[in-house]
Amino acid sequence: MEKDGLGLEITELRLGLPGTEKMMKKRGFTEMIMTSSGSNSDQCESGVVSSGGDVGKVSESPVAKSQVVGWPPVCSYRRKNSCKEVSTTKVGLGYVKVSMDGVPYLRKMDLGSSQGYDDLAFALDKLFGFHGIGVALKDGDNCEYVTIYEDKDGDWMLAGDVPWGMFIESCKRLRIMKRSDATGFGLQPRGVDE
Amino acid sequence: MNYFPDEVIEHVFDFVTSHRDRNSISLVCKSWFKIERYSRQNVFIGNCYATSPERLLRRFPCFKSLTLKGKPHFADFNLVPHGWGGFVQPWIEALARSRVGLEELRLKRMVVTDESLELLSRSFVNFKSLVLVSCEGFSTDGLASIAANCRHLQDLDLQENDIDDHRGQWLSCFPETSTTLVTLNFACLEGETNLVALERLVARSPNLRSLKLNRTVPLEALARLMACAPQIVELGVGSYEDEQDSESCLRLQAAIRKCTSLRSLSGFLEAAPHCLSAFQPVCHNLTSLNLSYAAEINGSHLIRLIEHCKKLQRLWILDSIGDKGLEVVASTCKELQELRVFPTDLHGGGNAAVTEDGLVAISAGCPKLHSILYFCQQMTNEALITVAKNCPNFIRFRLCILEPHKPDHVTSQPLDEGFGAIVQACKNLKRLSVSGLLTDQVFLYIGMFATQLEMLSIAFAGDTDKGMLYVLNGCKKMRKLEIRDSPFGDAALLADVNKYETMRSLWMSSCEVTLGGCKRLAQKAPWLNVEIINENDNNRMEEENGYEGRQKVDKLYLYRTVVGTRVDAPPFVWIL
Repeated sequence: MEKDGLGLEITELRLGLPGTEKMMKKRGFTEMIMTSSGSNSDQCESGVVSSGGDVGKVSESPVAKSQVVGWPPVCSYRRKNSCKEVSTTKVGLGYVKVSMDGVPYLRKMDLGSSQGYDDLAFALDKLFGFHGIGVALKDGDNCEYVTIYEDKDGDWMLAGDVPWGMFIESCKRLRIMKRSDATGFGLQPRGVDE
Repeated sequence: MNYFPDEVIEHVFDFVTSHRDRNSISLVCKSWFKIERYSRQNVFIGNCYATSPERLLRRFPCFKSLTLKGKPHFADFNLVPHGWGGFVQPWIEALARSRVGLEELRLKRMVVTDESLELLSRSFVNFKSLVLVSCEGFSTDGLASIAANCRHLQDLDLQENDIDDHRGQWLSCFPETSTTLVTLNFACLEGETNLVALERLVARSPNLRSLKLNRTVPLEALARLMACAPQIVELGVGSYEDEQDSESCLRLQAAIRKCTSLRSLSGFLEAAPHCLSAFQPVCHNLTSLNLSYAAEINGSHLIRLIEHCKKLQRLWILDSIGDKGLEVVASTCKELQELRVFPTDLHGGGNAAVTEDGLVAISAGCPKLHSILYFCQQMTNEALITVAKNCPNFIRFRLCILEPHKPDHVTSQPLDEGFGAIVQACKNLKRLSVSGLLTDQVFLYIGMFATQLEMLSIAFAGDTDKGMLYVLNGCKKMRKLEIRDSPFGDAALLADVNKYETMRSLWMSSCEVTLGGCKRLAQKAPWLNVEIINENDNNRMEEENGYEGRQKVDKLYLYRTVVGTRVDAPPFVWIL
């Protein structure tokens, strides 16, 4: 028995008599492994995908971000109410949280209601009653604040670099940060171009 | 004892409250059986299909409190389809027809309708206490009936139910004369509540001890409510996200300071990070803290709060607390008995928030720890062996490694030895959930050492039928066994049919049991209900006669019963 990583062959689940291709479980075992290990096809253990032969009944393209039913064992009430699972499906649509340094509460705003960065600047100003934010977006280095956002991958990016469409698709939340706090990040003033 | 008059024996029995003990004394002799049955006040039915309302009433004509449980545990994880069963209606109808003076009803995983609640509210004059946990099927209209009609209501406790919120005025349905409330928990409701009605209700309930609000009750309202009820012992906070002026905050802090009896804090479903500090004045008295829904509060804020909670006995938290945070818990909370660490990110990606180090730290620092539920991304045998050495007092040990089949991340070995150490050291272990890469070996250990084990949850584990057999043969006190996605089949299922008479239930899904095997089991054990839950239309099990016997069963749920096949099963449930 080949020892490819987890020795999957033993625990492979199959429906019906050996050799009956058509009686396949909806969710094959290798699919479950692939989806539950982060479901990124690059990250799949190669042993899993390429163990061909007797495990190969299941199609080898990983099921896109679908989860094994009921795993992890978190009850549905809890899933609904707290887990990040909820927020990842709402990327780019509707409301994102906005925080501003020095303000003890967060706000929520609808990205979809802005048409572009200018609109966003204006909306942010209104949200916090502070006129500096819009300037930050348009004319970087003169402003006390920078506007940054968290993207789909969890990285914090400076707002304004990418086209608007791309921005709203990937923006998960916004933060208005004091420029002085951001200097450690090595942000270049707008004027200096490569 | 038979020389004493019955009243004396009955008086002695009054001191025996646990239903298991009462079951035991009822078996001593006919006379004790009779005395016990007429004097039993609290009846516990762990599986509503194990018996019937008629049998309940025949045996215990004088009870006041009934606890009923419906769906199997795995229903929590969406493994049981909607409509499977667990209806409370026939029970309430039967009780209403009889002359039982019902005062308390506690339901878990049952289907409750507005009709049931209405009937309940009208049928029992002295009804005092309604506790619904993980139930579904009703709306706020049903709550309105309870509020309006139960004159002596003390407890309305709704935990994690799926309630259709009509955003009506159910809170206003409590009559002005109602002053008896002790517990009011509506944290699971989604909709707006009438804040004025709520405030007035709280203000006229001097006995109110437990108040758990839902996410739509804003901060200013919380301050006013706490000012009305400084005697509060348990508080569930609603929403914190609204724009708060400093005056509201100050009022809240002032109100909190007056709540010197506050021992339990929960809620914070919509919480801004800075809100926790308002509760610091009461931290030193807290015995129970549930921040497991507060996804917005990061580790450092959590730690700052917990540092003051030296008397904590129960802590439910998210893994955002991190190993460092758990070290703080370990050094601060020396009274800790129960810990639950839930995952923030279900997909298992991102930062490894808590690891085996956090678990080891807790086991080393908290000598009174006896119950743990721990979600993490990695584990090692060495850590588990250390935990076992540090904490031989576990009663409940539930470890969930998020990725199925994940081995010891240092040695790449299965985690058999680690769990083996746990069951060997923890002689009082009653509940165990295992995860990670596991072979039949771990079940050998469980069968050998876990002599007190009553509930075992297995997922993605084991190699052959031997695994399941070790457990069935070894664990004499097993009551509930639930297995998913593990290679156990007919041989294990059928080896000892009589074993299932000593258990409440067995669940097996995505295993290797076949329809033929289940049919053979049903034949051998007519006192079992063997249910096959079969959602796919493609699985036409009746048709292909030759192969039917070998067709795999997707979900099997079997349980002992004294009343035979249930009549309310939906079409996708086959009872063999």
